Amino acid sequence: MTDTKEISKSPKLSDEQKKLAMAKNIRAALPIVGLVFIFILFNILTKGGMVSGLSLALSQVYVILIASMGVFFIMTMGGLDFSQGSIMGLASIAVCMASKSMSVPMAILCGILTGAVIGSINGFFHVVLKIKSFIVTICTMFLFRGLIKFLTSKAPVGGAAKLMDYDTMQLKLGVTIAVLIVGFVAFNFTRFGIDLKAIGAGELAAKFAGIRTDRMKFLIYVLSGAITGFAAFINVIKVGSVTSSGGNQLETQILIALVLGGMPISGGAKVRFMNIIVGSLLYIVLSSGLRIMGLDTQTMQLIQGIVFLVFVAVFADRQSIQVIK
Amino acid sequence: MSEVRLQVVNLCKSFGITKAVQNVSFNINKGEVHALIGENGSGKSTLTNMLTGIYTIDSGKFILDGKEIHPANQVEANNEGVSIIVQEQGTLSGLTVADNIFLGHEDMFVKAGVKNTVAMHKKAAQLLEEYGFGRIKPYAMIDDYNFEDRKLVEIVKATYFDPKIVVIDETTTALSQEGREELYKHMERIKKQGNTVIFISHDLPEILDKSDTITVLRDGVYIDTVKSADVTEDDLKKLMVGREVSGAYYRTDYDEKISDEVVLEAKNLTVPGLIEDVSFKLHKGEILGFGGLSESGMHEVGKAVFGASFDRTGEVKLADGTQINDIPTAINHSIAYTSKNRDSESVVMNQGIGDNICLPSLKELANKLGFLSGKKMHDFSDKFAKEMSVKMVNVDQFVSDLSGGNKQKVVLARWIGKDSDILVLDSPTRGIDIKVKQDIYQLMDKMRKSGKSIVMISEELMELIGMCDRIIIMKDGKINGELARSRDMDENTLIGKMV
Repeated sequence: MTDTKEISKSPKLSDEQKKLAMAKNIRAALPIVGLVFIFILFNILTKGGMVSGLSLALSQVYVILIASMGVFFIMTMGGLDFSQGSIMGLASIAVCMASKSMSVPMAILCGILTGAVIGSINGFFHVVLKIKSFIVTICTMFLFRGLIKFLTSKAPVGGAAKLMDYDTMQLKLGVTIAVLIVGFVAFNFTRFGIDLKAIGAGELAAKFAGIRTDRMKFLIYVLSGAITGFAAFINVIKVGSVTSSGGNQLETQILIALVLGGMPISGGAKVRFMNIIVGSLLYIVLSSGLRIMGLDTQTMQLIQGIVFLVFVAVFADRQSIQVIK
Repeated sequence: MSEVRLQVVNLCKSFGITKAVQNVSFNINKGEVHALIGENGSGKSTLTNMLTGIYTIDSGKFILDGKEIHPANQVEANNEGVSIIVQEQGTLSGLTVADNIFLGHEDMFVKAGVKNTVAMHKKAAQLLEEYGFGRIKPYAMIDDYNFEDRKLVEIVKATYFDPKIVVIDETTTALSQEGREELYKHMERIKKQGNTVIFISHDLPEILDKSDTITVLRDGVYIDTVKSADVTEDDLKKLMVGREVSGAYYRTDYDEKISDEVVLEAKNLTVPGLIEDVSFKLHKGEILGFGGLSESGMHEVGKAVFGASFDRTGEVKLADGTQINDIPTAINHSIAYTSKNRDSESVVMNQGIGDNICLPSLKELANKLGFLSGKKMHDFSDKFAKEMSVKMVNVDQFVSDLSGGNKQKVVLARWIGKDSDILVLDSPTRGIDIKVKQDIYQLMDKMRKSGKSIVMISEELMELIGMCDRIIIMKDGKINGELARSRDMDENTLIGKMV
């Protein structure tokens, strides 16, 4: 037909196409460049303190890497989850309590179950009762934070001593990589990722294309809770006990990490799995760098807030302005 | 003899790499209905959207009565004397009829910072009465009215202040005959007042009948401006497409016997408030038409068959006894559906063409372990997009970049890829130009001959008459008669059963 001929015969188009593709690539590469830049910058500022403190910095990255994967799935669908910190706190308590009377695998399972239950509560209110996800999860954040405070009001909940045996870098790194690989493969090489992106890009049309959107949304909230419930195990073997502030602000950390990684807030087709990894590393380098420089918590929060705003401003997808579900 | 009202001078607009309007110049006179025609993606809507401040101008200018205008939004355009009735829904939900009419111009009712709602309602009631839409109440929520009535409200909104230019963009396709007559009446009135109507439509007989002057665009480039009296439909087609278009549009066969084999049966379908007790059988290789006014419930019938209705009772059963109650079951049992609301229900706008085509076929595309290969998906979607000759850069391009007709081609490519046996096509040619329309009709004929069954729901009576083996007419949610394919059928027979 004439249409196809026109396209193939016009070389101008491909030039502009290249330009556009280049702009896209630059945008995609920005977080990675930013990661390298910030890493070098902090090394200069702290006179090599970053490299020597690397293992300390890394010890914090596992929890965020794992937990942000669940939120990544939720955000791909165009939703949000602010209850991650409370899920982490409560699941950590569950792991600690269970570890005293049960085997470690059972304790891990208890953490996962706790997370999944909270996730299903989020999912129920969001999907069945059709309330916007950020409202639902802000409510559950407060609700379960209250429960955590109640459970830890007398004393921090401590785990069994045997948990400490698991606190090795090999285990934490291995588990994290394993979780990420499973997520990566499912997201990029099965229909799971395509379905999620389609829901994020246009839920109604996705439904009409045969995706069981409501079921998917519900299950993703459950999954996300379960993933964070699993990350609670990694958290517990590191800290040993849970206080009333256990898991506090994890949701913000995850959100900042994902946005730093170049994730579009409204989800959809432009989401890349890479966003999780680059973003988490960027966040950890940034926050531990600031700490090594000797900044206090308040100043750090201030700087994090500014960086967050700048990144959102850069990566906001203004073409498809959507309401967050 | 006639004075120039609007000069379009070297106008350009690009979206990314797509040049939607390229260096277009022409004049529009006072006191005329000036039609803009061209195929999908020829730049008609882009041009008028720039004129009315919906899009910004890349370069070039509009000179209205000797003065250059560059409105930044619709309210500014109104103040310059330009208004538009858009193709899609142009009223805002959650506001009253009066709020919608005076949107952006509430100031005329404001005294000392307080809006005089009573005065506004009074003015709106007076206007509605003048226009002959007295049954629409100014204080009622716009949501209480159907699509058609909301369009009537838009007519009032766009014309009550006697603008110098009124753009009517593809509005008639969404209106019933009655609504169209209302619109034509007001077009005539605007013209009589010495003002100008810019009229965009795909319906060439309508264009020839209602307009004085016709400007043809093709692929964003200006082709020609002609007097309606001097041209025929075939001349226009030739100008639009750039080559001869053969007249045969619809199927040409008659008296073909419909197969006795029933592939789908709907029994007592009821969706509260929309359809009531609808039963019919669909035969193998048949095109079954559904006609009626847009609110007759016929669009809901399509959804009901596809398992997409909320709160449906009654049953939809396939030949093998399978009940269709949800969308995934429908798709897995080879039922396809294209929605009237193409942008929200048929295509995932902010996603690539490739993913859009692959979505229902992911199961077939995955290997035994459930893994998908990017290359396989790419080849699959590329094949069917090319088969439907979707005008695109590549399959990674977002659907939101495409014109209406090309979006529809993507939707059809999706179902051809899925190789569905039963196709429910709701308004398949809505807002689509002749060439693509012809492609779609030919495709339907080909599918029919290969034993696929089609349910075609349409507000265009001519295409129902031209394409269907049987036509079921709906009225007020119920079936109000059935007509068999015949040479002698004309629009009036159908209209008689519709109203």
